[in-house]
Order: sequence, then structure tokens, then C-alpha cells
Amino acid sequence: MKKWSVAAILIGWGAMSMWAAVGCELNDPDRDVRRLFPASTGYRTIYASIAKKGGSALLQRVEQRLGDRFQGLFETADVPYTMYRVLRGQETIGYIHGVNQKGRYGGIQAFLAIDSQGRILAFYYQRLTNNDARPLRSAEFGRQFVGLDLGDFDRYDVVSGRAAPGSRIAAVRNPAPRAEDDYRSTLRSLKKNLILCDEFLLGNRFLEKETGE
Amino acid sequence: MKKISIYQIAAKNLLRKRTRSVLTIVGIGLSAWVLASLLGFNRGYDSALKKDIDNMGFQVLLTAKGCPYEAATLMLKGGTGLRYMSEDVIADILNQPEVEGVTPMLMQAVFDPERGESGAIDAYLGVDPATFPPMKAFLKFKQGGWFKDPDKHVAVLGYEAAELEQREVGDKLLIPDKNIELTVVGILERSGTQDDGTIFVPLRMLQKEFGQLGKLTAVGIKVERKADTAALENRLYDLPDVQVVSMAQVKNTIMGLVATAKVMVFSIAVIAILIAMVGVINTILMSVFERFREIGIMKSMGAMPLDVFRMIWTETVVLCLLGGALGLAMAYGLARVTDLLIRRLLPYAPTGSLVLIDGRLMLTTFAVVLGIGLVSGIYPAWRAARVRPLESIRGEGE
Repeated sequence: MKKWSVAAILIGWGAMSMWAAVGCELNDPDRDVRRLFPASTGYRTIYASIAKKGGSALLQRVEQRLGDRFQGLFETADVPYTMYRVLRGQETIGYIHGVNQKGRYGGIQAFLAIDSQGRILAFYYQRLTNNDARPLRSAEFGRQFVGLDLGDFDRYDVVSGRAAPGSRIAAVRNPAPRAEDDYRSTLRSLKKNLILCDEFLLGNRFLEKETGE
Repeated sequence: MKKISIYQIAAKNLLRKRTRSVLTIVGIGLSAWVLASLLGFNRGYDSALKKDIDNMGFQVLLTAKGCPYEAATLMLKGGTGLRYMSEDVIADILNQPEVEGVTPMLMQAVFDPERGESGAIDAYLGVDPATFPPMKAFLKFKQGGWFKDPDKHVAVLGYEAAELEQREVGDKLLIPDKNIELTVVGILERSGTQDDGTIFVPLRMLQKEFGQLGKLTAVGIKVERKADTAALENRLYDLPDVQVVSMAQVKNTIMGLVATAKVMVFSIAVIAILIAMVGVINTILMSVFERFREIGIMKSMGAMPLDVFRMIWTETVVLCLLGGALGLAMAYGLARVTDLLIRRLLPYAPTGSLVLIDGRLMLTTFAVVLGIGLVSGIYPAWRAARVRPLESIRGEGE
């Protein structure tokens, strides 16, 4: 029994140290990439952070594009983002990226699969703790975002939760009215996710459209 | 006429073959670096491990027999296998003279179907607000503080648990399955221990909500500083249906795991020292052979065997002193790099600095290197002292 106890403590120490990951990574990248991109033949993992790529200037730009400040203890410039470049042979056919977002009862991990032009191919939650928000996990809810890109979020205000009348975001329906806060957090996380993809993966192709250049 | 001392001759000889002298010094320096770093590691590892164990707040953990007593093990077992002991055990523990304090704990696990794709286990550690915080006084808060009311629906999160849940003070936390809402009142700073991943809640609230009133899964025991912990543990074993987990035992197990790695690195150190010794002997011996005639002339001019011995020995000692100084400078300057290298080798490395190099350790290393120099120099110096003047001048020497 003594030996078991000691082994358990050692395993515990080791296991606890694995909690150190602060980014948002796929639970099982091999499986998830195949599921989201059935035609893929492989993927490359890219690590990036706002602090490393552009420091406070980039943070300011991302916040400006988002229309909101980064908030709290854990939404900071040095959060490491893990992005997956999906390949078919040597060709990039898309990307997968998830972000952490504060939800009502815990962290929301919302993942996007986008094509090489930045259009959403799939959206799903890897983590969402709120019984009232269960309808948000439905495939129907996720399908509302397929085909959208950052341009569609351009006039979505993440602070008030208001979308421009007639826009594609205004047409998105919240299937969980009792979890309005988690719904809004989800839309904020999607906009932030698409901005980060544009900054780190797509060469800011949407930034030019936003500024009208 | 100016008199030349044997020390001047020794210095001149070392400067005459600069490349050889420098290479020998570098060789000794590398050996001294390895030696100082390993001695520093020996002290640093013990000290860091002791600090990690002290940071657990208690020296002995009593659990219900067969019960996993920390969250990671509970998760490994799929949240099952919890065993309970009665709170009455606390009175028995407090009767022991070695005990300074106790803190009761209850761990509970629930399945969270909303986590991940197939759900996951969440573990909650119920702690007594009166006894747990003083025992874990080293824990610092990033936000908020400990809860005070044992019945309130509140929680304190370790830093990594808070990060994972994206929680801050004032945020809500849900115990899934039970649908119990908790308010976060504190976020701990990183401590480098398993507390970083723990969700702490008031003990009595957890007992009530999970229908476990009067039951515990573990009791942390703080032992008096000078008390005989082994004797206490032996008596605790006599309590029915409990298991005793001694932190000293944990330390010994870790030390056992690390012992193999330590033997390996110490073997490398011994080999490095032997190579350095052979290098020193080789350098000095070559210099003696090259100077047979010169030594013969010195002797014919009146130098005694002891003078020649001292001269050659001095050369050896000077080489070792310079090499030792170089090695110590490297050991001190590269301590962090050594720390990183050692961490890669070890099965388990505690937090904090693994390589502790202080003045006393530097003096010890210097003394060892000097001792090696003195021993290495004996044979070449003896050979030089035995040179026969006439034979060496005629070139018939060795």
C-alpha cells in the first residue's frame, strides 16, 4: 500500500504539471484534423503570440479590430495560440484554430475550421460549461456560421452584442435564450479568432478591406 | 649577480610552452566545472526537493484505506474509488504528542458531460477554512483570498485551474451534475505544486452538498519540528482503516529514482577528473623529459633534488590553480545552463534552483582540484629530482 501511495503522489505531481498548458489546443489533433478536413493528408502546428509577433502595437490593433479591450487575468498579449495548417500534399487547404473565452460558468473553447481564404468551414465547442447553453452545441447552431468570414463580423459590436441590420450575423439565431451571455461570448470568441487567423495566417487580407485600402 | 628563484624558473617554463599550458588549464577547468556543478547539484536537488515537500504544508497525510487522495489520481481512476473515514479520527490524531496541527479534507469528483467531447472528471477539494490556510501559509493570492465561512458556496482556484476555467474573483463556477453554483473568491498565484490545479471549496459545504457529513477522505498532519515522525507514523498505522502517506517517504522514493541518474553523472565527474589528472601528469612529464639537460645543468650548478622537486611541483600546482579558478568561474556563471541540462536528464525535478553553488562549495572544489594537482605532480617531480647531472648533460639520460 505504501508503494502505491507514493507512486500515486508521483503520478499526481506529473499529471498536475500537465495542466500547465494555457493556450487552446485540439484534444486530439490527428483525429480532429481528419474529421474537419477529410481530404487532408497532414498538418503543421504553428505557435504564435501577439507579444512575440508585434507586442503592444499589435495588441492595440487586434483590440481595435475586435472593438473591445482584452480583459482579465488570462486574456493577455502573451497567450500562446496553437494554430493548425492543414495540408493536402504540399498544398494548404485550410486552418484550424481555437480560442479561450470567458463563459458564465467556465472557460469556453471555441474552434473554427477555415479555408485558405478565411471562410468558416466548421465551428464547434471543445469546452462549454453551462447546462442552459446545451443547444449551442447543436450542429444546427454551428452550421449558421459556415460560409461566413471576418468581413461578415466587421459591423458586429462584441460589447453590445448588436449586429448591423440585414447583415449575415444579424441572421444568426441564438437557440439558448437562457444562455444569452454564453452566446455573446461565443460570437466575441469567433470574431477574435478570425482576427487572429487574419493576423497570423492570412497576411491581414481582411485588414485592408476593413480600412478600405 | 641576480639570484633566480625556482618559482621564477617554473613560471618561465609554463610560459615557454603556452599552448600546452593553456590546453592543460582548460582541461583542468572543465573538470573543475563538472565537479563544482555536480556538488552544487547534490546540494541544490536535496534543498529544492525539501522545499517542495515543505510547501505541501504537512509532513504526513492520513487517508481512508484505498482512497486516492489527490485530484490527478482520482482522474486517473475515472473519478471512482473514493473511500471515507470518520471525522472522529481527528481526535485520535490530536492525542499524539508529535502532532502540531491537523487539517481535515474531503475530495469529491463529478462527471462533467459538457467538458470536451466525451466529458471529463472535475475534482473538488473541501478544506477547513480555520486550519487549512495557516498550514499553507506560503500560498499567495493573485486575486481575493481564502473563504472564511465553512458553509458558503464559494471556491478558491489554483492558478492553472483558474486559467483553464478562465475564472476570476466574482465569477461563477458550476459543479455539474449537482447543478451547484459557486462564487470564486480567490485565485492563487502559481506555486509549482499540485495546488495550482486544485479547486478548493469549504469542507462543510462540500460534505452537505454531497451527502458526506462527518466523512473525510484525508487528514493533513503537521508534525512538531523536532518530533520523531517515524514513531508517529508507526502509531498512526495502528488506527483502523487508514493509510499513512509520509512526505519523508515520498522524498526517499524520489531520491531513489534520482540516485541512478546521480551515480551516472558522478561517474562522469570521476572520469573527467581522472582524464584531467592524466593530462596534468602528461604535460608536466613531457616538460621534464624535454628539460633533462637543463635540469642536469641546474643540478651541476648546485641545485638539490628537493629544489628540482619543488620547481616541478610548483608548475603543476600553478596549472591546477589556474584551471580550478577557470572551472569555478564557469560553474558559477553557467549554473542556470547546467540546471537546464540536468533537468533534461532527471525523471523528476523539483521546482527551484537545482544547482546551488556557494562560497563553501567553491572552496571545497578548489581544495579538491589543488589536491589533484599536488598528487599529479608527485611522479613528474620525483622523476625530475632523480636526474643525474652528468648523464643528462651527455644526453644519455632518459
